[in-house]
Amino acid sequence: MSPAPRITTRRRALAVAIAGITVAATGCTVANSGHGGYDPNTLRIVLSQEPPTLEPCESSLTSTGIVVRSNITEPLIEREPDTGELQPLLSTGWRQTSPTEWTFDIRKGVTFSDGSPFTATDAAFAIDRAVNSELQCNVDGYVFGDEKLKLSAPNDTTLTVGTESPDPILPLRISFVEIVPRTTSTTEKVREPIGTGPYAIADWEYGQKLTLARNDRYWGAKPTFARAEYQWRSEGSVRAAMITNDETDIAVGLGPEDGAGALGVPFQNNETTALRMQAGEAPLNDIRVRQAINYSVNRTGIVKALFRGLGEPASQLIPKGVVGYNDQLALWPHDTEKAKQLVAEAKAAGVPVDRQIRLIGRTAQFPKISETIEVLQSEFTEIGLNVKIEMMDTAGQLQYQLRPFPENAGPYVLMIMHGNQAGDAAFTMDQYMLSNGPQSAYGTADFDRQIRAAEALTGQARQDAFAKLFAEEPQQIMQMAYIAHMKGILGKSPRVEYTPNSATGDEMRLSEMTVAQTARTDQS
Amino acid sequence: MFPFVRRRMYTSALPLVIVLLGVFLLARLTGDPTNLYLPESATEAQRAAFAEKNGFDQPILTQLIDYFKGVLHFDFGTSLRTGESASDMALRAFPATLQLAVTTMILAIVGAVIIGCWAAYRPNSLADRFSSLLSMTAASIPDFWFAITGVWLFAVLLGVLPTSGTDGALSWILPIATLMIRPLGVLTQVVRGAMVSALSAPYVRLARSKGASDFRVVSHHALRNAAAPALTVAGDLAVGLINGAVVVEAIFGWPGIGKLMIDAILQRDFAVLQAAVLLTAVSIFVLNIAIDACYALLDARVREPAKV
Repeated sequence: MSPAPRITTRRRALAVAIAGITVAATGCTVANSGHGGYDPNTLRIVLSQEPPTLEPCESSLTSTGIVVRSNITEPLIEREPDTGELQPLLSTGWRQTSPTEWTFDIRKGVTFSDGSPFTATDAAFAIDRAVNSELQCNVDGYVFGDEKLKLSAPNDTTLTVGTESPDPILPLRISFVEIVPRTTSTTEKVREPIGTGPYAIADWEYGQKLTLARNDRYWGAKPTFARAEYQWRSEGSVRAAMITNDETDIAVGLGPEDGAGALGVPFQNNETTALRMQAGEAPLNDIRVRQAINYSVNRTGIVKALFRGLGEPASQLIPKGVVGYNDQLALWPHDTEKAKQLVAEAKAAGVPVDRQIRLIGRTAQFPKISETIEVLQSEFTEIGLNVKIEMMDTAGQLQYQLRPFPENAGPYVLMIMHGNQAGDAAFTMDQYMLSNGPQSAYGTADFDRQIRAAEALTGQARQDAFAKLFAEEPQQIMQMAYIAHMKGILGKSPRVEYTPNSATGDEMRLSEMTVAQTARTDQS
Repeated sequence: MFPFVRRRMYTSALPLVIVLLGVFLLARLTGDPTNLYLPESATEAQRAAFAEKNGFDQPILTQLIDYFKGVLHFDFGTSLRTGESASDMALRAFPATLQLAVTTMILAIVGAVIIGCWAAYRPNSLADRFSSLLSMTAASIPDFWFAITGVWLFAVLLGVLPTSGTDGALSWILPIATLMIRPLGVLTQVVRGAMVSALSAPYVRLARSKGASDFRVVSHHALRNAAAPALTVAGDLAVGLINGAVVVEAIFGWPGIGKLMIDAILQRDFAVLQAAVLLTAVSIFVLNIAIDACYALLDARVREPAKV
């Protein structure tokens, strides 16, 4: 026998071995497959992205909060999503005991999922950790700013919170803090927290799926589903296909064209889209030009044709249900001829209306944003303005949205989408209406004073003062051209009973999900 | 053989450093990550503290030196997004991509050899034209469109495959089909062209005249000589797959390195991006060395420098 066939045989053997190893390697991955059915006691949810962390003090991040809030951990107080009304949770009552101090009554008989008892000391620890520590928690920046709190727990059921200055909405701010046990690290953020919620983390296969299991020690009503399994797919059409293919029970963040069909449930979220005009730069520094832009925007047409009715034309930056919403405020009229007239007047007065204005949008910020931006450019061009579109990714767009704004950027109009999770207009006013607000491009000292005065009020007076400010802003300043209060679409399997609300995108309470009366239960 | 491999490793070191340097600098040119990681309402003091904690307040040269010092100690930094070790995240994601890429390439090469040889055996026949049309179509189809159409057809309409995920053998079919279609098309054309040329060569005519069977002529004589150009193209295509099957990983929820890199870019998660790029670059260099080694095995002129 010649040597050549032996070499060939060896090579064949090598090739077979390589192929075998590959198949074995792939087989190992798929060996534990569970495809082909579902456990009726498991709720399956598909998100648009994996939570980067489940650290409770980061729960004002949408991707974290949607899993953590009121599922794994709970706050002392919760907000009723549609009215903004505060409801007792781990605190059974609260009162202002001095101008700079609030007292909270702590619920008895609550334990964390690891079995340790929950007391006022834990509440004080969790708030201190989130607000006063060096952890740089998202909730600190989002809700408390530079404010430091003085916390004490005189006994197991009483918590006092002191502020540097009178804070009439401290309980609302406290509702953002998720409670963790006193054993939680104060030097590092935790990815997998312990909480008092109806569920606890059972397993997290990073990159693939997250499983929560019912917390048998939960102090409240037992949730319907024993387990909840989260997966994530970045493509909306795939999330919709998972719903229609019965691979998931809940799919978040769908668009009207993703194909969920009748399984897509529209709901009002708390987001409002608007154009913010950089009013410090010509020609946008002339109020006639800003008014012209407002007259040229066909809000009703955009909502009807582009958003397919998934939204409502907006007259202000907050939706109904937020304290300060002005239900008497009419839409700014769509009047192209009036807009042209205003631009012509400005031009005659020497305003350089021919100067190029950048119309900046964030890619994939909401469904149909590219088409919306194109329609707006067309409308602005029609009235005689020179507008150029620039689409950016999130990081790029945020440079123009947040102070300090880029220098020598020229005039630009920025598409923003604002969500007031807090339910109080103060959070919107501080950001977008104060002359030096982190996301405000323009304002006046007089309007700033009016905002500060409104923020010091409580009750109906507070509501009336903010509503008045929303009515006056377009007359005095007109920094914005509001587009729409947005609606989202939630994919929902027929086997699950759940009504999404304005907070669903930020806080999806699993305990509110039950088995539908008509649901099939024969799958396994 | 070993001096050859050693030589290739030395020459690969400089490009590796250049890649790292490029990624480091380009990533920082795309903007400050502070705005992405802090809430929009964060104060100036909070932004400054974030920058200080993560070293973004340092001059770029200082950051670069610190980074290279870390690399030398196998410390690739911590993810801004998750707080995890960047190298752990990259190493966890890489096997998923590698499994997908290896399986895809094996299937694509086997398919291309069969179809290419079949087409080349009878040039300009109906079979040849049909396979050329198929391979050109396959090479031209956008993978995004193919993936979404595949989900719609096989998962939603026919209900025979899952839409996505990694649970079960069936969930591998659509991602592999999507990844394979282009390499299969390109490789088929290359194999066909090389085989047409090889089958008309004098040594093939000699083999036929000595009474070798058609199968032996194709598989032992022509295919071996047609392997070199196919190997070159297969190597390039494999590099593309290892570099991150971004579209496939994003659509099908495949937890691989491509998806990790895209997320890291969008989130300005520099440490993860750098770790993922470094790992990918090293893999590509290893793959290139392996391909060169194959050449060297096939051709002594590659193995040894020319002697004058």
